[in-house]
Amino acid sequence: MTSIKIPTPLRPYTANQSEVTVTGTTVGEALADLVAQFPDLRPHLFNGAELRDFVNVFLGEEDIRFLYGVDTPLDPNARLRIVPAIAGGKNEDSSGPERNVDHSALRINQVFIIGLLVLAFVLDAPALAAFVAAVMLIGAARPGAELFKLVYWGILRPAGIVRPDVIPDNPEPHRFAQGLGGIFAGLGALALFAGASAIGWALTWLVVALASLNLFFGWCAGCNVYYLLNRLGAPGFNRQRVKARQ
Amino acid sequence: MTIRLSPVLQTRIYAQLQQVYPNEGGGFLLGSVEGGGMVVVETRPVENVFAAEQQHHRYAMTSHDWARLEDEADARGLALLGYYHSHPDSPPIPSAYDREHALPNFVYVIVGVQNGQAVETRAWQLGQDRSTFDELTLLIE
Repeated sequence: MTSIKIPTPLRPYTANQSEVTVTGTTVGEALADLVAQFPDLRPHLFNGAELRDFVNVFLGEEDIRFLYGVDTPLDPNARLRIVPAIAGGKNEDSSGPERNVDHSALRINQVFIIGLLVLAFVLDAPALAAFVAAVMLIGAARPGAELFKLVYWGILRPAGIVRPDVIPDNPEPHRFAQGLGGIFAGLGALALFAGASAIGWALTWLVVALASLNLFFGWCAGCNVYYLLNRLGAPGFNRQRVKARQ
Repeated sequence: MTIRLSPVLQTRIYAQLQQVYPNEGGGFLLGSVEGGGMVVVETRPVENVFAAEQQHHRYAMTSHDWARLEDEADARGLALLGYYHSHPDSPPIPSAYDREHALPNFVYVIVGVQNGQAVETRAWQLGQDRSTFDELTLLIE
């Protein structure tokens, strides 16, 4: 005789028995005998003639899907077990996929930009200013390759050092702002290398000032330029401001 | 139908789900059925095994986790009452995805986590005809 272990939520249909004895030489025959003995089980195990997607049947430790499915032969004293697959998840917004931005990642990015550019000024190190400009421009060109944000995603957030701050927002204006900052920082670095120190450091401090406004006051100059261009109908600037969800 | 969850266990669930935010997290509810109601005795966090890039809106656990916890509950005379999971930045209301994957006689506790803070817990059960989710009375006491 084959035994079948019944999952807790389906036991009301087997007179609260956790294990039921059935006959049959294959898994399919055993399940057919099970639902013949306990007809109320059928709609929860089968959809028509097919086993429901979330119903897993195990022979010993093996999922029958990795054996021969319902044709899997059974030894006389086989032990079967029904295990529901557990899965869940939130509704996607009916107005479209949700757009969220983790503002902690943005802030960490700004901290690095401000810190390293100030350090470049203090150390009189144009190479460091050029490095920051390169990181900003590469990040703006390829969102997955933002070095300072990778520090956040790879280290600070997983370690719990910085908590995420995910809010409905468009990523595009922030990317645009970063590109704009990267261009200013890059021009500044070029000026420094060309010997025009005053212009070079002025541009560098402009980037520091704008990043600080964003970091400390949440005012993103580049984003405002982006949304202004959106209102003027500039091609490619097709995201409108996200209204706060309530 | 009512389900009772102690404030201590709710705090534990909240701490776990805030920790995994902005991803979804979850676990099992072990307990007993007394009269017309259910009482949660233990909560057991279970790892989210959905693909990492999908975990912000999906939660899944392995068959092995189910089997292990069910065996333990059976051995201790407890019942596998249901499971809990979070809806990050989304209300604690079952989604179509939740219903497609739901079982009857099983409690679905959903916690809304807004901006990293767990704010609301609601409990649901699939109707016998599988077409609707009915809300249970959740008593935090």
